[in-house]
Amino acid sequence: MSVRRLVGVAAGLAMGVTAMTGCGTGDEPSAGDLEGKIEGKVSIQTWALKPKFTDYVEGVIAAFEKENPDVEVTWLDQPGDGYDQKVLTQAQSGDLPDVVNLPPDFALPLAEQEQLLDLEKADVDLEGTFVEGGLQGYRYDGLDGTYGYPWYLGTDVNYWNTKLLEDNGLDPKNLPTDWDSLFEQAETYQKTAKGSSYLISRKPGINDFQNLGVEIFNEDGTELTFNQPEVVELVQRFADAYKAGLLPKNLLSEEFQGNSAMYNESKVAWTTGGGQHINTTLKTEAPSLVDVTTSNHAFGDGPLYVQGLSVNAKSKNLAAANALAQFVTNAENQKAFAELVPGIYPSTTESAEDEFFSKSDGTNAGDAQVTAFETLSTAIPNNPRWSPAMETILQQQLAAAITGDATPQEALDKAVEECNKILTQ
Amino acid sequence: MRDHRWFTPWLLVAPAVVWLCVFNVYPALNTIYMAFTNTKPLGGGEFTGLANFERMLDDDQLVHALTNSILYMVVCVPLLTLLPLLLAVLVEKKLPGLTFFRVTFYTPVVASAVVVALIWSWLLDDRGAINSILSALQVVTEPIPFLTDRWLLLFSAISLTVWKGLGYYMIIYLSALGNVGRELHEAAAVDGAGPVRRFWSVTVPGVRGTMLLITILITISALRVFTELYVMTGGTGGPGGKVSSMVMLIQLYSTGFTGSLGYASALSLLLFVLTLLPMVLLARLNRKDG
Repeated sequence: MSVRRLVGVAAGLAMGVTAMTGCGTGDEPSAGDLEGKIEGKVSIQTWALKPKFTDYVEGVIAAFEKENPDVEVTWLDQPGDGYDQKVLTQAQSGDLPDVVNLPPDFALPLAEQEQLLDLEKADVDLEGTFVEGGLQGYRYDGLDGTYGYPWYLGTDVNYWNTKLLEDNGLDPKNLPTDWDSLFEQAETYQKTAKGSSYLISRKPGINDFQNLGVEIFNEDGTELTFNQPEVVELVQRFADAYKAGLLPKNLLSEEFQGNSAMYNESKVAWTTGGGQHINTTLKTEAPSLVDVTTSNHAFGDGPLYVQGLSVNAKSKNLAAANALAQFVTNAENQKAFAELVPGIYPSTTESAEDEFFSKSDGTNAGDAQVTAFETLSTAIPNNPRWSPAMETILQQQLAAAITGDATPQEALDKAVEECNKILTQ
Repeated sequence: MRDHRWFTPWLLVAPAVVWLCVFNVYPALNTIYMAFTNTKPLGGGEFTGLANFERMLDDDQLVHALTNSILYMVVCVPLLTLLPLLLAVLVEKKLPGLTFFRVTFYTPVVASAVVVALIWSWLLDDRGAINSILSALQVVTEPIPFLTDRWLLLFSAISLTVWKGLGYYMIIYLSALGNVGRELHEAAAVDGAGPVRRFWSVTVPGVRGTMLLITILITISALRVFTELYVMTGGTGGPGGKVSSMVMLIQLYSTGFTGSLGYASALSLLLFVLTLLPMVLLARLNRKDG
């Protein structure tokens, strides 16, 4: 090969390498001033709100722009599927919008990379504005600060098919209120049902462990600790129930259609859902069950689902971005949004006693909504360090325990061991 | 004709080279690099030496995945090398109605792997068609746990792979059979060779090259199996994660905000080496035969 050819090849390779390494190593934008003037262009990204809530979001943005005439807001709405990958790509390439809707588990890795604004630095009374559970979602073990304005909350309540309960020897006025009464009633139920339907049709999950009062992680979030005697006992109960035929045999296979679908087909008498499950899911998917469904408080404290708005710490117009996030999550806008979207609740202290959510209209759907609203005061948010990979590992080990391939203690120890590897890698 | 500049050939191959560099060479090199780091999706990572490979030695999930992948290979290679050849010999003849069988055998190849895996799951479910028939015939008293027992689940997935692959390899064999001289069969028949003897002494040697190619293809796809196991285990890898494959493990560790990209890369590297080994072995065997 001649010298000039060598030079040509080297130049080509250099260009190629430059092109490849150039991706993602551009200059990082310098952040704006949080105390600066509220002005400039800012973007806000929501998650699957178009087209159903377009009018609401556009209305809120218009009101903000009217209040802050020097600010121009661009609204981005991402589809429901693959939102985590979208946010990840945006974060990797430095294209995170100025204000972005992030659930706590999405926000944590961004907060760890200092991509999100610590709201403790902003001039806002977080405790006085938002309920404790909502804020707790964006406060992380091992990390100082609060990394999201709680936007709206959700929780689950228990729903029961009263007809199936009565047909199978149970009293709908004496609903199960904890695991003890649930497994006890499942035995009675199955004596009549004989596999035609079930009272229980799901595996235990991390929420259930949390509701038992067990710490899922250690204090600084560096180790999993859920292999505790209470959890072992609960898993053992599920294993015994599976063996005794109190759970569907295909619960552990791909063909298991899911507890909610089975409830809609009257193949199971118990399911869980949000506060408006009767008026939304059941009304459209199983209208015949609307009148025979009743609800009660979820076992234990109940799960808390938090959605919030985080501010990009590197926003060029940080003051405007922070003001926009505060505006969208203020009490008035949250209340209006929660009244519009079935099953969600405001996360502000101002709405904590709101009669729209705390008074039932006397129907079973209204009762469920109130039960859900009351649950919010005790509900616990999921630990955001719990990842999908950990969930897969837990499900694998629970299946092994329920089928008898491993004892519950062995399965939970294994799950903790494998999840710890993920955590420390 | 000699009036072209020295860089003309480079210009012509440049688009393909750039494409290969960006989408193949760079990711491959990056994977090798990341295998020696603790890279996360956000914030990069640090060089950790052989830590990821040490972790492999203590990874039960990997043992299960390797066992499954090797079993997949051991069962699929002979079945998918021989059965499609027999099918090809059957449908090779120009008889009326044989087109129907050719199309029938090929149909599973066209169908989406996910859809086919879902259909098989319905069939094999505790309340599925197969268990219902077996119960109705009083062959079994309890449903056979095709989808919850580790080995039954694995062999159900292997059966699905074999069934789905038959038509594809049959078509490859069909084209190879066209090159086996009819006169060889006629000469063997004149010498008194029956159909079985002619199959082993004329047909098989005639398609040996194709057989080797198919063996390599099946080996690679068996080691990289994903869809069948993923769908049939509902994405969990079955009870205890014992029905995972190598690719499922890579997927498990590489996705999400907190993915362990370093460990997933190390697993990818291991899979690459495992895939390379049988290919090199087969290539050497082929050279010896040649």
